[in-house]
Amino acid sequence: MTKEKKKEEEQKEGFLRRFGKATRELLYGMAVHDTARFALKTRGSMEHLFILITMGDLLGVPILPPYYSLRILPYVVPQIATWKRRMLRERDLTDALA
Amino acid sequence: MTKDRRWTIFLTDIFTQYPDRRYIMFGGKGGLGKTTFSAATAYYLAKKGKRVLVFSVDPQASLTDIFERDIFGKGPTEIIPNLYAQEIDADQRVKEYQQEIRQKILDMYGLKKIPDEIESYITAAAAEPAMEESAIFDEVVDIVVKGGYDYYIYDLVPLGHALYYLSMASVYDAWIDKITHLREEMREYDKVVAIVKREKEVEEDRILNELLYIKDRINKSSSILTDKQKTAFFFVLTAEEMVIKDTLKAAGLFSKFDVPLSGYIINRVLPLELKDQNIPEYLKHRLTMQEHYLKVIDTTFGKQILASVPEMERDVTGLPMIEKMAKAMFGEIG
Repeated sequence: MTKEKKKEEEQKEGFLRRFGKATRELLYGMAVHDTARFALKTRGSMEHLFILITMGDLLGVPILPPYYSLRILPYVVPQIATWKRRMLRERDLTDALA
Repeated sequence: MTKDRRWTIFLTDIFTQYPDRRYIMFGGKGGLGKTTFSAATAYYLAKKGKRVLVFSVDPQASLTDIFERDIFGKGPTEIIPNLYAQEIDADQRVKEYQQEIRQKILDMYGLKKIPDEIESYITAAAAEPAMEESAIFDEVVDIVVKGGYDYYIYDLVPLGHALYYLSMASVYDAWIDKITHLREEMREYDKVVAIVKREKEVEEDRILNELLYIKDRINKSSSILTDKQKTAFFFVLTAEEMVIKDTLKAAGLFSKFDVPLSGYIINRVLPLELKDQNIPEYLKHRLTMQEHYLKVIDTTFGKQILASVPEMERDVTGLPMIEKMAKAMFGEIG
């Protein structure tokens, strides 16, 4: 790829990395300094992230060999219903204030 | 039988020189003789009094064809004394596995029926092409861990899939590390929150254990493929341009994944003495072509060529032909 394109790619990567880091730090900060309720909410998102990673093929992104991801299935059964609802729900400002 | 060039070593040497190499694999493009060599090697070793299991990790297994016995999905079947052959019925294994998972879910949550969303996930996962292969490789771990044989001969799938699996093994390893790390972090959160639900902790422990179990299985199956002490990997090729090119490429990739390559075996070599006989132009031309490519192979792979095996006068199916092939590869079986 051309020099400019390469630079663009690197900048994008750098941005994503920094964005990820910032989000993580934000979550950590919130968990430590805010109320228990908020910490629970944050944890809820992490749980969903976990599901995304292991059951990514619900969204078409296979990660684990299917034989093994099936093994994880029983443990995330209760979360699947809530997860789908959350992921597909529309988000608005009141979520941040809730 | 032709014993030209310097490749007159029979493969016997490899086995006497390296008695620890108990996991034998033949790799290479489809149709070049991997199954034939697997069967013949198994035959030879069995005749020498070793307990051998030759099994197929190819969903389109051809051990049934070559041994002329239906062994599909029947577990290890004795062909001749000491020689056991197995074709894994991946489909059956996946179905049983799905049932296990369903039952576990019903038990864990005290349900009478599997929720629709979950059921559709279970069905969809089983339909994935990678499901069959991962099921087979998991079965291979069981087979090897169980033990009971002196030699294990894997009839590997054609090149592409084996490489895919090897590369995926290291990717999955990294991912599972990431996931377990993430899981550990989530447990950190629990310490922050005042309300700690005990059941939740135990459940997370179980998930972590599952992930570690999976990591262990994946590592075991890929280590079988890469253990330098215990694995002998033979590449099968023929004296044709495209085959040589593809073999070179594959060899590079395999060395990247640290698969210990024992050497190359040239198959389907037409008897050179035919040249001196009164044969049609077509055959003369093929022989010249072969000679050319044998030279190319010699230059390209040199000392790594272990043997050249002649083209048989008919299909290698059935024990008599397998014995003939074994003699061509290993010399007289004493």
